[in-house]
Amino acid sequence: MTINWVDAAAHDEVPQEDVIGLAVAGRDIALYSVEGEVFATDNICSHGHARLCDGFLEGHEIECPLHQGKFDVRTGKPNCAPVTEAIRSYPVKVEGGRIWLAIE
Amino acid sequence: MSECPVTVFPPRIQWESDGTSRIPFQAYTDEAIYRKELDRFFYRNHWCYVGLEAEVPNAGDFKRTVVGERSVIMVRDKDGSIHVVENVCAHRGMAFCRERHGNRESFTCPYHQWNYTLSGDLQGVPFRRGVKQDGKVHGGMPADFKPDDHGLTKLKVATRGGVVFASFDHEVESLEDFLGPVILGYFDRLFNGRKLKILGYNRQRIPGNWKLMQENIKDPYHPGLLHTWFVTFGLWRADNKSQLLMDERHRHAAMVSTRGAAGKADQVTQVSSFKDSMQLHDARFLDIVQEPWWDGPTAVMTTIFPSVIFQQQVNSVSTRHIQPDGHGAFDFVWTHFGFEDDTEEMTQRRLRQANLFGPAGFVSADDGEVIEWSQEGFETKPFHRTVAELGGREVGDTDHMVTETLIRGMYEYWRKAMEA
Repeated sequence: MTINWVDAAAHDEVPQEDVIGLAVAGRDIALYSVEGEVFATDNICSHGHARLCDGFLEGHEIECPLHQGKFDVRTGKPNCAPVTEAIRSYPVKVEGGRIWLAIE
Repeated sequence: MSECPVTVFPPRIQWESDGTSRIPFQAYTDEAIYRKELDRFFYRNHWCYVGLEAEVPNAGDFKRTVVGERSVIMVRDKDGSIHVVENVCAHRGMAFCRERHGNRESFTCPYHQWNYTLSGDLQGVPFRRGVKQDGKVHGGMPADFKPDDHGLTKLKVATRGGVVFASFDHEVESLEDFLGPVILGYFDRLFNGRKLKILGYNRQRIPGNWKLMQENIKDPYHPGLLHTWFVTFGLWRADNKSQLLMDERHRHAAMVSTRGAAGKADQVTQVSSFKDSMQLHDARFLDIVQEPWWDGPTAVMTTIFPSVIFQQQVNSVSTRHIQPDGHGAFDFVWTHFGFEDDTEEMTQRRLRQANLFGPAGFVSADDGEVIEWSQEGFETKPFHRTVAELGGREVGDTDHMVTETLIRGMYEYWRKAMEA
């Protein structure tokens, strides 16, 4: 199966050690930059329906601004109550100064 | 009798004697006394009824109810335990839960979405760390804000036989000590460990003081006189074999009676036998079947002060929750139940007999009316007092029904607690 890579953003659009939100292929996506590496997850918290890009990134952990639930940005797994349900994470590659996501 | 007092509205409650056979009307009409009752009976030192475990069988199930006037939520946690928390958001005081029943992972106040665990701990505060804008972070809670300091108020909880009680007072004695051995015996007779099955609810608002409902079920004088339905169809006779029993502080009581062999009122009674020609259109309302757990008595009406009545009237069993709302009104919530091991036939029998009870019950409709009319009398004539002297002026257990001793007993306790 061939992976369908979608062009999401320019690499330098994502500030170091921070998060941005943007629409990719009709989805609300959060892009994170941690120690020079880029990660991507769905942007909507599985608990209170808030946007994770408004939250606070600490290491590989994004804290939701609404209820302080935390996810691992590498896997989308919940790390801290009140979140109990994972969010989706996406494979990322950086090529030619662009960030590409495997959406499907 | 003529009387013309200097004031119809005395500034403070006056008892005629040290006894409690004459109860001042003001005990039912004074807002300051009512608030003191809330403080001393509902919010301290007492266990109040909140519900049945069968109402919240699954993790996350909750029921909204009250302790006194305070809104609380009874909820089943993921580990199976039951919590009771106050329905007042720690942030802005909102009674955030509006549904009567439901299922939740956690509680969220709609106003600012403060989010609480099922046990009432604050777990999330929106924008606690502020809001990011143009590379800056604005606002947020102070750095020393501790979620641990801002949980919901948690009540102490006691469960026994599938019944749930709660208290704001974490120093309250055990539920068993609170009930005392005699009343506990009748409690355990009804709630003997069988799983309960909820059959349905009645809710009604009665425009009268909350104590009048306690007194109504501590008063065996009225059933054969007010409730002509009882007499006409033989469910109650003043000469039924009976006992009136109290805990040692006289605040709780059990009216225990066993239907006489005479059964229907086709013989002379001390009360009345009128309307003997009346027939039930559906005789199944009185399709009574003896159950092994009765162990004799056909009716046991238990009053647990201040908040609840446990009813066994032949095959109809229910809890009746007294929910005061100001000195002059209360909500009265009936939970009709059965047991999980009941046959379908027994469930139908319990449901049919439940027609005697509730706001439009063949029998109970009368009680709501007389409580309202008593309150009307009290409000207009607060200097006066009732006369609860049937059977004497003393307080004590009896082996007959021709007495108001349980009412006198309750007021003996009431005076001790209120005058302390």
